[in-house]
Amino acid sequence: MRTQLIRCIALLLGVAATAANAQQLGPVDGDAIAGAQLYYDHGCYACHGFSGYGRKDLNNTGSPWLANEEIFRAFLRFRNDVAPLLPATDMPNYPANALNDAMVSDIYAYVRSMPDNRPETADVPTLRTILEAAEQRQYKP
Amino acid sequence: MSNDHPDQPKTPVVPETVPNAGRRGFLKGAATGAAALAVSPVAKAQQPSSYQASFTAPSYQQIQRDTGLVEPPTEDRSVVRPGSDLMVQALKDMGIEFVASNNGSSFEGIQESIANYGTPPNHMPEYITALHEESSVDMANGYAKAEGKPMAAMLHGTLGIQHASMAIFQAYNTGTPMILIVGRDEGFIQAHTANDMVGMIRSFTKWDSHPKTLPGCIDALHEAYRQAVTPPTGPTVIVIDMELQKEEARDFQVPPFRPAKIGGVDNATARDIARALFNANNPRLKTGMFRTPDGVQAAVQLAELIGASASTTAMGGPMGFPQRHPLCGPGADTSYDYELGLESGSANISLRRPGITSLTAERDVMGIGFGSLRADYVAAPPGSEPTPGSQNQQQNRGTVLTVDAEASIPLIIAELSKLVTPAKQAEIERRNARHASANREDFLTNLRAAVEEKKKGWDLSPVSTARLYAELWPLIMNEDWCLASPSNFSGAHHRELWEHNKPYSFLGGQGAGGMGYGLGASTGAALAARGRGRFVVNVQCDGDLNYAPGALWTACHHDLPMLSVMHNNRAWHQEFMFIQYLAGVRGRGTDRGHIGTVLRDPFIDYAKMAQSYGMQSEGPIEDPNLLAAALERGVESVKNGKPYLIDVITQPR
Repeated sequence: MRTQLIRCIALLLGVAATAANAQQLGPVDGDAIAGAQLYYDHGCYACHGFSGYGRKDLNNTGSPWLANEEIFRAFLRFRNDVAPLLPATDMPNYPANALNDAMVSDIYAYVRSMPDNRPETADVPTLRTILEAAEQRQYKP
Repeated sequence: MSNDHPDQPKTPVVPETVPNAGRRGFLKGAATGAAALAVSPVAKAQQPSSYQASFTAPSYQQIQRDTGLVEPPTEDRSVVRPGSDLMVQALKDMGIEFVASNNGSSFEGIQESIANYGTPPNHMPEYITALHEESSVDMANGYAKAEGKPMAAMLHGTLGIQHASMAIFQAYNTGTPMILIVGRDEGFIQAHTANDMVGMIRSFTKWDSHPKTLPGCIDALHEAYRQAVTPPTGPTVIVIDMELQKEEARDFQVPPFRPAKIGGVDNATARDIARALFNANNPRLKTGMFRTPDGVQAAVQLAELIGASASTTAMGGPMGFPQRHPLCGPGADTSYDYELGLESGSANISLRRPGITSLTAERDVMGIGFGSLRADYVAAPPGSEPTPGSQNQQQNRGTVLTVDAEASIPLIIAELSKLVTPAKQAEIERRNARHASANREDFLTNLRAAVEEKKKGWDLSPVSTARLYAELWPLIMNEDWCLASPSNFSGAHHRELWEHNKPYSFLGGQGAGGMGYGLGASTGAALAARGRGRFVVNVQCDGDLNYAPGALWTACHHDLPMLSVMHNNRAWHQEFMFIQYLAGVRGRGTDRGHIGTVLRDPFIDYAKMAQSYGMQSEGPIEDPNLLAAALERGVESVKNGKPYLIDVITQPR
């Protein structure tokens, strides 16, 4: 049973990696607004920030786990550290009694809706100043 | 005896600026002051409420009730030359700038002497009013990390020790030198006194003494200083009985203070190291945290003398090799053929002072107190973010000489200077130039990569922690700045964006990871900064601030140059994530992880909190586009000598 599951996950990983590499993201069926509330209520922001940038980014990562909703759901479900089927990290496990499929779908929709917020460095005076000052500054004891 | 003798008590003087020190005059002055204050928003907040306005002094009966019918002992004894004056003279001789304390009757003799003895009085040391003993000791911690020398804190009997114990424990874990003076009054309240006052903190202090005579007390104060600064450095404690503070000193003279003599390597070893450096084609200095700024300066001198590239820990704590010194970085060639460790780990040979935990077993002879639970535990260097495991692994590599690097470097320099010929000098200069070019490029490459990373979520609300540090940097980069607060929780973005070139650029972590440290330590660093034209930044976690916020008042009361910028994620966020993870592991979902871990319902208004302590402030700021202007106002206020707090609502991490 365990071997089969691992094979299944390996297959999922392969599919996910392929999809992510090809930027072929799956469709979004959930409600992003409802997902935003769930994202807050379940404390996803603790690690991923209120908008997907945080200790562990969700935005613009090319993560294979975000390739489509099924893979995302599998990622949430099979993280139990008691018998980890996926690499154990500090990401919590979410069985169906904690987040049902509809909730997962909504959260996935919200995550996919997160805006890319990385301005051009040249457009941000503060960042330009930091870089230019570093170029010009001479060390003084 | 001459009246001009510095040991003499001064004649009581009524300051000219206070024509009437009586109660009536005081109240009149207070009313005038309140009217004048009414012009500013901050002052408006300080106007007395109707409740305050109707307040009258408590009656004698009320005081008796409130204090449990306990009164300080009344004595008619009058002395010409109190022992506490001599104790203060000893502190002066040792260069103790500040004594922080929350007042207590068991050291009132010393407190009175600080206030009135000397010319001018209340100077070197200056009495710093703290609102909690934990703050007093955290201040001493921050000051010593910034300056590399001790200040003092006074603790009131058994109670003061217990209030201070967490901060002492943190200081012990970073090996911070400080002198703790514990007042003891046997004739007062029994619960405030113990035979062995230091017993409860002995396992996490370096040295203590309970002298029985006045000359013994002066000797003990001197020794407390020497012990505190001699590696392994750490907090020292001296218990001073009230009797000695009030004793008539008669003609006893304070003996001269003899500074600590800290030894380095022997001459033969210094010669061997110098020769190895000289013969190397690509020598390397692996540097850690030195004891004092002199150690940093000596390391720079050694690197320049031999043309060695140098690593640094300046982004992780105080007293590190200057980050943008031309020789700091990997250098032109990373295949080093000789590495000298200076307060660092793995290298061909490392000079490293002993860790403070080596004392724990000796001090913890009764098995009382925390002790050292792990035999392999090695304390982090002073101020560093602690990573004991990795430190220990590093220690097992290379040859480590347990000897103070700072004291050894001058000996190595002296030997090296004898070897350098003009031809070698030319080679060294070429090497220096190659390293400088490579290190500059390395720094800029890393900075460009960091900027790309830090701009993620730049315009999002709440404010990203990276933007908080990024917006601060252009405003302070041309100031003589000191980041005094720990930074791990707020992302430590300064490590990649700022330039840490001074021994006090960053003062590192809490020591034992205990909360409540940031504000007190920053206040202590600001004490060091005040007379030195320096500017202290405190990136203040919200959870941390709530343990001992009274230091906000201390910063105002003593006009300290400190800018506090809140990293307000409205939670004890680390615990929030831990609880979430555990709930996840147990398959229970994470929707209840906030219970007991977040600070909402209601949110705490830190700008108002600061105002209530008399500090100018603004916020909460959630819009990142409002941040830079607020920071500018804060910097300007601090440069004008007034501490400032900006409440910034941030992303969690």
